[in-house]
Amino acid sequence: MTDNKIDAVSRRTFMQTTAAATAAFVLPGAHAAGSDAIRVGVIGTGGRGTGAAANVVESSPGIEIVALGDLMPDRLGQCREQLSKLSKEDPKFAAAVKVTDERCFTGFDAFKKVLASDIDYVILATPPGFRPAHLTAAVEAGKNIFTEKPVAVDAAGIRSVLATYEAAQKKGLAIGVGTQRRHQDLYLAAVKRVQDGAIGDVMSGQVFWNQGGLWNRDRQKNWTDVEWQLRNWLYFTWLSGDHIVEQHVHNIDVANWFIGAHPVRAIAVGGRQWRIDPKYGHIYDHFGVDFEYPNGSRVLSMCRQIDGTRTRIGESFIGARGSLELQDQGIADIRGPNAWKWQKPEKPISPYVQEHTDLVASIRAGKPYNELKQVAESTLSAILGREAAYTGQELTWDEVLNAQQDLMPPRIEFGPLETPAVPTPGRTKLARRWNDA
Amino acid sequence: MRRNALVAAMFAAATTVTSQTQAPSSTERDTIPGTLVTFEMVAVPRGTVTAGAKTVTVEPFQIGRTEVTWDMYDVFALGLDGLKDQGADAVSRPSQPYGAPDYGWGHAGYAAISIARPAAEAFCEWLSKKTGKTYRLPTEAEWMHVAALAAGPVPLTPDRRDNLAWHRGNSLGKAHLVGTKQPDALGLFDLFGNAAEWVNASDDSFVTRGGSFRDPPERIGPEARATQESSWNERDPQLPKSRWWLSDGPFVGFRLVRAQ
Repeated sequence: MTDNKIDAVSRRTFMQTTAAATAAFVLPGAHAAGSDAIRVGVIGTGGRGTGAAANVVESSPGIEIVALGDLMPDRLGQCREQLSKLSKEDPKFAAAVKVTDERCFTGFDAFKKVLASDIDYVILATPPGFRPAHLTAAVEAGKNIFTEKPVAVDAAGIRSVLATYEAAQKKGLAIGVGTQRRHQDLYLAAVKRVQDGAIGDVMSGQVFWNQGGLWNRDRQKNWTDVEWQLRNWLYFTWLSGDHIVEQHVHNIDVANWFIGAHPVRAIAVGGRQWRIDPKYGHIYDHFGVDFEYPNGSRVLSMCRQIDGTRTRIGESFIGARGSLELQDQGIADIRGPNAWKWQKPEKPISPYVQEHTDLVASIRAGKPYNELKQVAESTLSAILGREAAYTGQELTWDEVLNAQQDLMPPRIEFGPLETPAVPTPGRTKLARRWNDA
Repeated sequence: MRRNALVAAMFAAATTVTSQTQAPSSTERDTIPGTLVTFEMVAVPRGTVTAGAKTVTVEPFQIGRTEVTWDMYDVFALGLDGLKDQGADAVSRPSQPYGAPDYGWGHAGYAAISIARPAAEAFCEWLSKKTGKTYRLPTEAEWMHVAALAAGPVPLTPDRRDNLAWHRGNSLGKAHLVGTKQPDALGLFDLFGNAAEWVNASDDSFVTRGGSFRDPPERIGPEARATQESSWNERDPQLPKSRWWLSDGPFVGFRLVRAQ
């Protein structure tokens, strides 16, 4: 493994160099307006990165997967194994998967090597803590991007991503994000009706992701603290942003989308009540947030990861003239004078494929779209909720956006790293570094 | 689904079931050791099933009075027997799902749904090890034999379907508490409708029988048959997709068979 560490200062360095790089206009990939093959690289080849690689191949003709990068050699190997299995089963994959040993990279600098490969389109699917740096580097390299959500875990990361968004706009790069409900048929049909006034002005909403606990990997004897935290990234705020940011961001994104704004203020409760074993890091297992929007609309957000509890995943909105119920499993239901129900098609289209279909089409049409700002705002909305819970204070959007908050440990290399303290409402400060209590 | 319906129709047309019909027989109550969770098994007599040119003799066995419920499945999936992470526990347990396999419709007393075929088999293996008895999925012939006994000689009229089964016309698109419709002629609940049930097909393909709460009433019953397709786990964004959970298969569950 080469270059076994990442200098977190580089995140800020990236931000500065981005500004300089945008001065020179760079063509957004040679194939922007034609129908030539789009060459794809994947950074972060876990289950989701591998899934996204398959999704982009399924999405459009003329896709080639050419380069892979992951910190962990075993995760990269598993991805190659899956892709080669698909290639044996499906001629489309046999034609599309062109990964060679020379274009497979591991280690902390693998992302740079993927970006230095001859690719047009990069998939970013590492744990979210690394996303701001990877987004900056990908835009600097002039790549079109599909990035997984969330796009940051802290205020410093969000500021970096917003700067990257501007840089990408100047370069005319396409950026799609993994908030796939924005590309899911039933949500698109529902949002159109809401925007056309089917339920009147949205007065309030409720968004939920309540489920059981998630996976955890048993610590192996030869793992350092850092490797253990990386392999269990869900449970460390510096890597995942906590589950309100990592998972519930989907539903908060829907609220922002349907209301047409981001929240301006929040109060919240939350805690770590059931998932208290040290193997679960230091994150919470439940949050409840009251979000206030600029027009006075209020959204209750609730998320929980506790086994044996009642599940609910979805969103609802109350308008002046009706209400709307949404669940990504296939429910969109308007009640009131403009009553309407989504009818599931016989052959549903996977939104995980559709998000690439749309992005690739926008690139090929020479009209690249850039969803980075909207997902940065949804990510910051979730961070706002998290911080209102962690600190126990009422917080505003601007306070969180401008907070001196940087949760990335200063130097990440395989070795010792303490588990940050569990945040304590009334004591934890918004302005903090990774290991401040 | 249309293609499968066609296959099911062809299969049904070529099938004549000549099972004996007789009064509901004895029921036993089994327990998952170390828990308060119990379930009922109903005795099924010997019979013959004819599918196409082939006639199969089915030996007597016991079948679950209801579909496997979350109360039963959670002991296995969540390690409620306290053994999940112990080395002595040879059967691997389901992963934690990213989402809600019960779709938020209800849990205690509801059929365990979104269960992938290997997971249903692993549950049977786990329960067998735990109890020292042999539990497994029904063979397709066994299921057909049971279905013929359950339907009985009276035709499945629309009214009778409605009384026996949760289907698209009465389910509101959701799975329901097991045992809340009338029992069938064999004394079983929800054999038709509610969750479609995994069976062990002779060609090892992943087949469910009976139809589900999502199927129109005329497509549930002894002839209903479906084979797993990619749409059943469309929204699983990971690769490899989960071997334990079907992200878009809330209509799939299973029923236990106990060998005698």
